[in-house]
Amino acid sequence: MSPATLLVLVPLLPLVGAILTVALGRRLGSRGHLPAIAGIAAAAVVAVSLLLGLGREVGIGDAAHAPTARPVEMITTLWEWAGVDAAYSPPAGSPAAADTARADGATDLRSFSIPVALRLDPLTSTLLTIITCVGLLVAIYSIGYMHDDPGYPRFFALLAMFVFSMSMLVAASNFLLVYVFWEAVGACSYLLIGFWFTKPEAARAAKKAFLVNRVGDFGLAVATFLLWMTYGTLNFHDTLSADGTILPGILGQSRIADAAGYVGGAVGTAICLLLLLAACGKSAQLPLHVWLPDAMEGPTPASALIHAATMVTAGIYLVARCAPLFVVCPDALTMVSIVGTTTALVAALIGTVQNDLKRVLAYSTISQLGYMFASLGTGTMLGFTAAIFHLVTHAFFKALLFLGAGSVMHSMGGVIDMRRFGGLRRLMPITAATFLIGSLALAGVAPFAGFFSKDEILAALHSKGWPDAHGEHHDTAPASGHAAVRLPAADSGPNTAPASTMHFVSMKTAAAADAPVLDRPRTWQTLFWMSLITAGLTAFYTFRAVFMTFTGPLRVPDEAGHHAHESPPVMTIPLVILAVASAVSGWWLFATHSLSTFLAATPSLTAPAVTATATPPAFHFDLALQGTLAAALGIAIAAVGHLGRRSDGPQIERFLGPIGTLFANRFFIDQLYKALIVKPLEGVALVAAAFDRYVIDGLVDGVARIPLALGAWARHLQSGLVQRYALVGVLGTLLIMLALAARLR
Amino acid sequence: MNALSPSTHLLLVIAAPLIGAIVAWLFRSWGLAAVRQSAANTAIVTLVLAGWLVVRFLSDPAAMAGEPYGLVEFPWLVGGIFDVKLSLGLDGLSIWMFALSALLSITAVFVSWDAIRDRPAGFYVLLLVLEAAMLGVFAARDVILFYVFFEFTLVPLFFLIGIWGHDERRKAAVKFFIYTLAGSVLTFLGLLAIILWNASHTGTVTFDIAALTAAMKAHPMPMDAGGGWLQLIVFLALLAGFAVKVPIVPLHTWLPLAHVEAPTGGSVDLAGVLLKIGIYGFLRFSLPMLPEASALAAPWLFGLGVVGIIYGALVALVQTDLKRLIAYSSVSHMGYIVMGLFALTPVATEGANLQLINHGLSSAGLFALVGMIYERFHTRNIASLGGIASRAPWLTVFFMLFTFSSIGLPGLNGFVGEFMILAGSFQRAWSGVAPSFSFAYLLMAVTAVVGVVLGAWYMLWAVERAFFGPSREPPRSGHDGHDGHGHADRCDLKWHELVALAPLAVFVLWIGLTPATFLRPAAPAIRAATQASADAFAARMRDATPTAQPIARTAQLP
Repeated sequence: MSPATLLVLVPLLPLVGAILTVALGRRLGSRGHLPAIAGIAAAAVVAVSLLLGLGREVGIGDAAHAPTARPVEMITTLWEWAGVDAAYSPPAGSPAAADTARADGATDLRSFSIPVALRLDPLTSTLLTIITCVGLLVAIYSIGYMHDDPGYPRFFALLAMFVFSMSMLVAASNFLLVYVFWEAVGACSYLLIGFWFTKPEAARAAKKAFLVNRVGDFGLAVATFLLWMTYGTLNFHDTLSADGTILPGILGQSRIADAAGYVGGAVGTAICLLLLLAACGKSAQLPLHVWLPDAMEGPTPASALIHAATMVTAGIYLVARCAPLFVVCPDALTMVSIVGTTTALVAALIGTVQNDLKRVLAYSTISQLGYMFASLGTGTMLGFTAAIFHLVTHAFFKALLFLGAGSVMHSMGGVIDMRRFGGLRRLMPITAATFLIGSLALAGVAPFAGFFSKDEILAALHSKGWPDAHGEHHDTAPASGHAAVRLPAADSGPNTAPASTMHFVSMKTAAAADAPVLDRPRTWQTLFWMSLITAGLTAFYTFRAVFMTFTGPLRVPDEAGHHAHESPPVMTIPLVILAVASAVSGWWLFATHSLSTFLAATPSLTAPAVTATATPPAFHFDLALQGTLAAALGIAIAAVGHLGRRSDGPQIERFLGPIGTLFANRFFIDQLYKALIVKPLEGVALVAAAFDRYVIDGLVDGVARIPLALGAWARHLQSGLVQRYALVGVLGTLLIMLALAARLR
Repeated sequence: MNALSPSTHLLLVIAAPLIGAIVAWLFRSWGLAAVRQSAANTAIVTLVLAGWLVVRFLSDPAAMAGEPYGLVEFPWLVGGIFDVKLSLGLDGLSIWMFALSALLSITAVFVSWDAIRDRPAGFYVLLLVLEAAMLGVFAARDVILFYVFFEFTLVPLFFLIGIWGHDERRKAAVKFFIYTLAGSVLTFLGLLAIILWNASHTGTVTFDIAALTAAMKAHPMPMDAGGGWLQLIVFLALLAGFAVKVPIVPLHTWLPLAHVEAPTGGSVDLAGVLLKIGIYGFLRFSLPMLPEASALAAPWLFGLGVVGIIYGALVALVQTDLKRLIAYSSVSHMGYIVMGLFALTPVATEGANLQLINHGLSSAGLFALVGMIYERFHTRNIASLGGIASRAPWLTVFFMLFTFSSIGLPGLNGFVGEFMILAGSFQRAWSGVAPSFSFAYLLMAVTAVVGVVLGAWYMLWAVERAFFGPSREPPRSGHDGHDGHGHADRCDLKWHELVALAPLAVFVLWIGLTPATFLRPAAPAIRAATQASADAFAARMRDATPTAQPIARTAQLP
C-alpha cells in the first residue's frame, strides 16, 4: 500500500473500532474491548511501519549515506471540507498579498478553501507512533482495570475515538483541521473524565476541563483568523493554484525557505501568544492548568493515555509545528519558556504536598510539560528536538507511573490516598518494581530515560543563558543561537505592513521586532536555575510518593477487601513493557541520535533560523552532573522523611508552615478564578436576566398596554348619550368647515 | 421520472400537507391512532417528495448556478399597468430552508405522538397547515404569496400555543401573535412602498420579487435628505418585522415565553423554521433591494448581533427552566447569524446561511428532547432533574449530540457555520472597514468569539446538572401506569421518539463532515443577494477613509 493509504489507515482503523463498538454495543458482552483494541493495534502496526519507512527516507541507520537535512513531507488530500470561492483579497503588505501579486500590481481574490489534508513528516510520524503504541498498551491494561464496569464497551469506544482524534490532530495539515481535532480530543477527554457521570465530582471536573480548554481554544480560533488574514490560507503545506504557480502554505517548504516569508512584529507576536494561550489550555500550563488535577476523576487508564502521555502534549506539538512562526518573534518565544519554567516550578511545589497518588502524578505532568515548553522557547534546534525527545520519554514513564498508580488503586479498592496504605512492595512486587523504574526515569537518574531528555533541555536553556560559554564548551562552530534567532526577526520588520499592524499597536502585546524585551541572557539564566530547582523538587515528590506507597510497614485500607494482591498479567505486562521503554529509550535515542536527526527533517524545523542554531550532538557533562546532584538531593530528602516510615506519619507541610498551606491549597488559584471570574460573571448574568425580565419585557408589556389604556379612555366617550354624540358631530362639522374656509381664503 | 415536471413537483410538495390535513380531519372520529398515523404518513410523503425535489435541484446545473428551479406562475391580474402573477419556485437561498421545513415536520409529528391526546385532529391539522405555510413561504417568488404564507405561519402556531400549550398558554399566544403581527404590518407597509416605487418608475404594478429586485437596482430609492431618506425608512419598516421574527435583541422577549408555553411540536417548528424567516427576509428583500440603507445599518446590526450573542448567553446561564435556557440559547445563536449576515463578506454570509440550517437542526432537536424529558418527569426545572443519563442513556446520547452541535463542536454542523461567521467577521474587521471603524469592529469580532466560551458554559452546566450526578426522583406522574417504581427505572427513548430525532442527527453529522455539499448550492444565490450591499458598504468605508489608504476590494462575482 502506498504511504498515503497507510497514513489514512492510522486514524481510520481506531475510528472503525469505535464505530463497531458502538454498533455492536452490548452484544459484544465481555468482549467489548475487541474492536477497539484490534483497531488501535492495527493502527500501531501501520504507524510503526510508516515510522520505519520515513526513517529510511531520512537516512537514519544508513551508515553509507549521511542523513540529509532536506525536509521530508508527504501530503494527502481527502476531500474539500468547506470552500468559498473568491472570498478574500489579502490586506496590502501581508505576505498573502505578495503571494498573489499580479503583474499589473493588483492582487487576486483568493478562495477560502479548507481541504481535509493529512501530512506525514518526522514530527507527525513520531507522535503517531507514540499515540498508537502507548494507546495500545493502555487499552490492553484497561481490559483488566475496567473489567467489571457497567460502561465497559463505552470506555473502549471512547478510547478508540480518542486515538482517532489525536492521530488526526497530529496528522492534520491545516490550521482549521487542527482546530477541529484540538476540540475533538477535548470532547473525548470531557467524556472520559465524566465517564463515571453519577459521581458529581466527575461531572464537575469534566465540565471544568472542557471550559478551561475552551478558553485556550479561543486563542487558537483568533490565531487561526489572524493567520488566515496574514498568510491567505490555513494550509500548512504548499498548494498548486489552477495556473500552476505555487501558493505557499503557512508552514510549507517554499515559505520556510523564504527568509522574509514570516511576519514578525506586533501581528506575529500576537499570533504566537494566541497560539501559546491555546497550548496553555490543552497542555495545562499556567494560568490554565487548573483542569488537569481535577481530571483525575476519570478512569486511571484514561488519565494515563490522555492526561499524561498524549493529549496534553498537543500544545508542545503545536508550538513545535509552528516553530517558523515563533522564531521570528523572539519575545513570544521567550514567553513560551517563561510560562513553561514557571509552570514547572509552581506545579512541582504543589506536587510536594499532595497526598493523593494520582494528583502527585498530575502535578508532575504539568511540571514536565512545563519543561518541554521551556525547551521549545529557546527556539534552537536543540531546544525543539529536546522538547520532543522529552515528550517521547515522558509518554513512556508517565504512562507507566499512571498505570502503576492504577494498579495500586485497583488492588486498594479505589483508595488512592497515600496516607492510607504503605509497604505495598511486598504485596505487589511487579507494580512496585516498574513504578520504581518510572520514578527513576521521572527524577532524571542516569541511565533512565528522563535523564537524557532532561539533560538536553537543561543544555538548551543553558546555551541561551550563557551563549559564549556554551559555544566553547562544545568546541562547535561559533553559530550562537541567540544572534541567529534575532536575525530573521529584523529581516521581517519591513515586511510587516503598517496596514495590518495598526490594529495591535494599542495593545500590550505589541513589541518591536528589533528590540526584544524579554529575550536577554539574564532571563535565560534565571530560567535555567528555576529548571534546575524544579529537577530537585521532581525527584523529591516522586520518591516521596514511592516511599510512602511501597516502603514501610504493610498497610491496606478496608476498602481493598479481597482485591489486595498483585494485578492480573493483562495489567502487569503493559507495565513491564513500558518499564523497559522507560529504562532504555532515553539512552538508545540519545546514543544513536536517531530521534534528533529524524526530527531535523521536519519541514518546520528546517527554517533557516532554526537550522542556524543546530549543534552537533553532545553530552553535557557538567549539566548532567548538576542535574544528577539536584535529583540526588531531592531523593535524599524524600528518603529522610519517608523511607521505611508509616505513610500516615508527619507530613512535609508541617515543616513548611504557611508556605505549606499555600502549596497544599494550590496557591489558591482555583479560589482566585472563582472569586474573580466565575462569581462576577454569574452576577452579571443574574443582572442581565433581571434586566431582561423587568426592563425589556416590562417595556414591551408597557407598550402593549398603551392601546388598552387608549381603549379605556375612549370607552368614556362612548357613553350612550345621544346629546353628546350630537355635540361631537356638530363640533366636527364645524372644524371641517373652518378648515375648508382657511383653504378657500 | 421526468414525467413529473419540476413545477408540478414543487406544487405537489406544498399541496401534500394540505391534502394530508384534510385527510386527518376526515379521520377525526376514528380516534387518536388514526389521526396521528395519517399525519405521520403525510409528513413522510411530503419529506420524500421534498427530498426528491432537492436531489433534482442539485443535479440541475442551472439551478446550481443560481437560477430559480421549478418556476410556477399563475397570471392573476395581467394587462394594462398590472402584471400581477402568483409565482412559486426554489433557488439557492430557499432550497435548504424548504428542505428543513419538510424534515422538521417529521420531528414535530413524532414528538407529539404521545404528548397530544386532547383533540388530536385539530392539532395535527394545524401542524400540517403550518408545514404547508412554511414550505410556501420559502417557495414564494412574489410578494403576495410570501406575505400570505408568512401570515399563515402565524395563525396555526397561535392556536397550537393557545390550545395545546402549557399553563400560561393564552398569554404566550397573544403576546407571540400581537408582537409578530405588529412587526409584520410594518414590513407589509415597507413592501408596499417598494411596489409603489417600482410602479412609479417602470409604470408596471408587479409583485414579482425578481422584477422588483432588478427595478430597485435600476432605480435605487433615494438615500439622502433630498429624497427624504426613503430607502432608510423602507429598510427600517422591513426591519421591524424581520427583527421581531429573528429575534434581534431587544425585540426577543416574546420568544422565551412562546417556547416555554408551546407544545413540543410547536416549539420544534418555531425554533427550527419560523425564526429563520426573519433572516430569510433580510436576504430576500432588504440586502438586495435596499443596499445603501443596509450598508448604513450594517455596523449597527452587526453590533446588535454581538450583543445578542453575549446577552442571550448570559441570560441563559442563570435560567432554571431547561426549555427557557434553550430558548435563550436560540437568542444567542441567532445573534451569530445576524452578525454573520451583516458582516457582508462572502465567508460570513455563506456561513450565516448555513447556520440557519444548523441552528434549525440542533435547536429543534434540543426542544424535542426537552419535551421528552417533560413527558417523563413532569418538570423542566433543572434543579429537580438529575442523573437522567443513568435512566435514559440513549436520550442522553442524543441530548449530548445536539448540545455539542449547539456549542459548535467541530465535526458536527454547528461548528461550520460558527467558524465561517467568525472568520468572515474577522476578515471584515481586519481589512474591510475604514480605520475609524477598525477598533470597534475588531472588539466586536473578538467579543463574539468569547461567546463561544459562554455557550459551552451554560449548555454543559445544564447537562451536568440535569443528566449527570446520581439519579434523582422528580415528582412522579400519577397516570403513567405502566412505568415501574424506584430510582432504577429505565425510561429510554420510545420508537417514535427515535424516529423524531434520528433524521436530525444524521444531518448534524452530515453537514459537519462535508459542509461543502451544503454550501455549494447556496453560494451563487447568497453572493447575488449580498453583492449590492457589500459594494455599498465598501463604498461607505472608502468615503470614511481619510487618506488614499487602500481598502481591500470586496469580493465580486467572477
